[in-house]
Amino acid sequence: MKNMKKLSTLAAGVLISVVAITAAHAGSKVPPLAPLGDPPIPADNKMSAAKTKLGKMLFWDPRLGGDASTACVTCHEPDQGWGFADAFSRGYPGTVHWRNSQTVINSAYLMKQFWAGSAASNEKQAPSAAKGAVAGNGENDVMEARLAFIPEYRKLFNEVFGTEWPLISDAWKAIAAFERTLIVKDTPVDKYLAGDKKALSKQQVRGMKLFNGKANCIACHNGALATDQKYYNLGVPTAERWNEDGLAQVTYRYEIYAKGVTQEMYRKLKDDPGFYFRTKEKKDMGKFRTAPLRYLKYTAPYMHNGAFWDLTEVVNFYNAGGGQNDFTDGTMSKNKTPILKPLGLSETEVEDLVAFLEGFSGQELKIKAPKLPDYAPLPNPASN
Amino acid sequence: MKVISYKKRVTSALFAGLIGTTALTGAVIAGENDHGPVKMIKVNAKKAELGKRLFFDVRLSGDAAISCATCHQPDKAFTDGLALSKAYPGSKGFRNTPTLMNTAVRKNWFHDGRIGTNLNDVTREMITETYIMNMDMRLMQERIKQDPVYVKMFKDAGYGEPSNGSVRKAIPEYLKTLTSRNSPFDKGTMSASAKRGYEIFNGKAQCASCHTGANFTNDKAYNRGVPENPEIWSDPMRHMTYVAFGLFMGIENIMNIRRDVGAHILTHKADGSDIGKFVTPTLRELKYTAPYMHNGMFKSLFEVVAFYNQGGGDDKNKDPNMKPLGLSFGEQQDLVSFLEALSGDVLNTKAHAWKDKIPTNYETIENWRSVKN
Ligand code: HEC
Ligand code: HEC
Ligand code: HEC
Ligand code: HEC
Repeated sequence: MKNMKKLSTLAAGVLISVVAITAAHAGSKVPPLAPLGDPPIPADNKMSAAKTKLGKMLFWDPRLGGDASTACVTCHEPDQGWGFADAFSRGYPGTVHWRNSQTVINSAYLMKQFWAGSAASNEKQAPSAAKGAVAGNGENDVMEARLAFIPEYRKLFNEVFGTEWPLISDAWKAIAAFERTLIVKDTPVDKYLAGDKKALSKQQVRGMKLFNGKANCIACHNGALATDQKYYNLGVPTAERWNEDGLAQVTYRYEIYAKGVTQEMYRKLKDDPGFYFRTKEKKDMGKFRTAPLRYLKYTAPYMHNGAFWDLTEVVNFYNAGGGQNDFTDGTMSKNKTPILKPLGLSETEVEDLVAFLEGFSGQELKIKAPKLPDYAPLPNPASN
Repeated sequence: MKVISYKKRVTSALFAGLIGTTALTGAVIAGENDHGPVKMIKVNAKKAELGKRLFFDVRLSGDAAISCATCHQPDKAFTDGLALSKAYPGSKGFRNTPTLMNTAVRKNWFHDGRIGTNLNDVTREMITETYIMNMDMRLMQERIKQDPVYVKMFKDAGYGEPSNGSVRKAIPEYLKTLTSRNSPFDKGTMSASAKRGYEIFNGKAQCASCHTGANFTNDKAYNRGVPENPEIWSDPMRHMTYVAFGLFMGIENIMNIRRDVGAHILTHKADGSDIGKFVTPTLRELKYTAPYMHNGMFKSLFEVVAFYNQGGGDDKNKDPNMKPLGLSFGEQQDLVSFLEALSGDVLNTKAHAWKDKIPTNYETIENWRSVKN
C-alpha cells in the first residue's frame, strides 16, 4: 500500500513524457501506458484476510462444479500462467472448451471479462464459469448444499459474511476477493514507467518505442492496463482444431446454439463470432476485447483461440497487418479493423518488440495450494 | 437370476391368465380391482429402437459418465439393486431406484409423484436433474448430432434432424415397450401357496385397496410409516443431495429436516400432515427389484409383509387404516409367494436392451467447413 503511493506520484511524471511519445508517433489521442495501480475494490465486497483465504480455498475446490472434478484452478493453473496451456482450454469432463483459457492474473482490473467481454466483474464472471456446461457445469442449489456440509466453510462463511449457512453468491464474492490478490504490477515495464530507467534493457526500450510508435500497438493496448477494453477483429485465423476433432465440433455448435443466434446463423457459422453474441450486429462479428498484456511470458498460447504459440508469432502476425478469418474475408462479414496495417518491421525490430512484451511479465506468481476441508455429517438440529 | 422364457406360449398364456384372474378377483372383491395382465402398448418400432440406444448411452449425461441404464438395469427389471440409488458423480442418491416396468401406464411418476403429466417430462427431468444426469440438453443435442448412427436413426424414425425434443419422445417410446409379461399370475400358473396369498391380498390383508389394476397400483400417495433410512442423514453426500433437492423444491426448514418429506412437496400442508406420504408402487417384478420401499429399507418381501402385518411403522402421520393384520407365519409366506408370482420375464435381450457397443467419443465431420451445421 505504502509503496503504491510513491508509484503513483512517480507515474504522474512519466505520464507526461509518454503522452508526448504517443502524440508524436501514433497521431491519435489515447492514454499512454502507465504503471499499474491497485485494483478497484467494489464497495459491496471489501477485502479481508479471512475472505481471501476462503476465496482461495474455493478457487481450488472442485466441489464448486457439477461432478466435483473441475475447479477454477483446473483451467487456471498457477504453473500454466494461471490459465491452461493449450489452444483451447480443457473442458468439463466429456467436453473440450472452445476458447483459450485466460489468465486470471490482473483480471481484477477488467470491467469486461472473457474474450468477448461478457462479464462486468470478477463477481459476475465466477458463476458463469462454475455453471457453463463445458466449464464447471455446476448448479447453484447443489453447490450451496455442498458448502453447507463442510464445517470449515460454514465457520469461514459465517466469519466473513455473517450467515448461518454459506450462500453461493457469497462464494463468488470470496473468489472475486481472492482474484484481487492475484496481481502482477511490478513488471520491468511498470518499474520503467514509474521512473526506474534501468528496469528495461536497451533492446526493450527500443521495443517500447516501436510499441508506441511505428508498430502502433498503443492504439488499442493503452493506459495502465494496456487495453482499451474495446472490441476489434484482427483477423486472427480460424482455429484448425474444428476441422479435425469431433469433440471440438460438438462444443462449437453447442456454443453458438446456447448463446442464441438465428437458425440461419446456426447453420452457417464456422468460426467464433465473439462480441457479435452480445450485440447481434453483423459489424461485431469476430471482434474480441483487446487483451491486457501483463504476464504474457507465462500465458502462451495467445489469442482467443490460442492461434499463436509464442510472442514472435504474435508480432509477425501484426507485422503482416493482421490476418483473415470468416468475419474479415467476406464469408460471413468484412469486419477487419482498419487500424491494422502491414508494419514493415525488420527482424530486429520484431525481436525488440518481443523483448519489450516479455518485460511486461514480471515474476511468476506462485502460491501454495490450500488444503481443502472435508465433508462431515450435519450435527442434529437443536429442535426438530 | 433365472430367466424363464415362455415365448412360444405368450399369447395363449396371457389370455388364460386374464380369464383366471378375472374369475379370482370376482370371487374376492367383486371385480373392483382389475388385476389382469398389463396390456402391451403399440409402439413405433423405429422410434422405440432409437429410444433404446439413447437409454444406454452415457453421452446423455453431463460428464458422459452414466446412462439411464446405469441405474435402471435391465437384468434387475430396470432397478439397480441398491437401497439408495446411485447418482451423478459428486452426488449420492437419497431414494430407491424404481422399476421402469409398466411405467408407461402410471398416472404419475417418482416416489413423491411430483410429475403427473407424461413420460416426456419425466425423461427431461431425469436428463437435466443435477443429481441424476446433470445434462444441458443443448449440449446433449449437439453430441447426438455428431454421431452418424443417430443421425440416421432419427431420420428413419421420422424425427428428421436429432433434437432434444425428439430425444424426449424417443425414450418414452422405448419405455412403453417395458411391459410385464409371463408372470405365473398372468399365465394362470400360480402355486397353491401363491393362490392362497392372492386371496389374503384381496381379502384379510386388504392390500388390494391400494395395489389395484393391472399394474397393482392406484398411483396415490399414502403414509405407511416406513422408517427413515439413516444413511441419508449420516452420509453427507446423500444428505447434501437431498438438501439441494429440497432447496430447489422449496421444502421449508430444509437444513433442519431429517426426513424425506415425500409428497409434501406437492401438497405443502401447513400442519405437515402430508409429510411422509409416498406413491403406491407397482408390485410387478418384485423378485428382481429388492430392496423395497422409497428408501430401500426392506431387504426382502418377507420383511415387507411382516411390516404390514405388524400394522406398519411409527409415524404420527401414518394412514389410520393401517392396523395389525394378524396374519399367521404361513399366511405371510403365502402372501410372499403371491407377490413373487407377479414377476415375469426379465427383459434383458436385444429386444429390450441395447447390446451393441455405443461409442463414447465423437467422429469428426470431415468436410466440416463445407457442410451446414
Ligand atoms: C473448464 C475450464 C475452466 C474452468 C473450470 C474455469 N475457467 Fe475461467 N476461463 C476459462 C476459459 C476458457 C476462459 C475464457 C472463456 C471465454 O472468453 O469465453 C476463462 C475466463 C476466465 C476469466 C476472465 C479473464 C479475463 O481476462 O477476462 C476469469 C476471471 C476466470 N476465467 C475465472 C474463473 C473462476 C473464478 C473459475 C471458477 C469459478 C473459473 N474461471 C473456472 C476456463 C475455465
Ligand atoms: C486494433 C487494436 C489492436 C492493435 C493495434 C493491437 N492489438 Fe494486440 N490485441 C487486440 C485484440 C482485440 C486482441 C485479442 C484478439 C483475439 O483474441 O482474437 C489482442 C491480443 C494481443 C495479444 C495476445 C494476448 C493474449 O493474452 O493472448 C498480444 C500479445 C498482443 N495483442 C500484442 C500486440 C502488439 C505487440 C501490437 C502491436 C504490434 C498489438 N497487439 C496491436 C487489439 C489490438
Ligand atoms: C443416477 C441414477 C438414475 C439415472 C441415471 C436415471 N434414473 Fe430414472 N430414476 C432414478 C431414481 C432414484 C428415481 C426415483 C426418483 C424419485 O422418486 O425422486 C427414478 C425415476 C424414474 C422414473 C419414474 C418411475 C416411476 O415409476 O415413478 C422414470 C420413468 C425414469 N426414472 C426414467 C429414467 C430415464 C429415461 C433415464 C435416462 C434419461 C433415467 N431414468 C436415468 C434413478 C436414475
Ligand atoms: C393404503 C394403501 C396401501 C395398502 C393398503 C397397501 N400398500 Fe403396499 N404400498 C403402499 C405404498 C404407499 C407403498 C410405498 C411406501 C413407501 O415407499 O414409503 C407401498 C409399498 C409396498 C411394497 C414395496 C414395493 C417396492 O417396490 O418397493 C410392497 C411389496 C407392498 N407395498 C405390498 C403390500 C401388501 C402385501 C399389502 C397388503 C398387506 C399392501 N402393500 C397394502 C400402499 C399400500
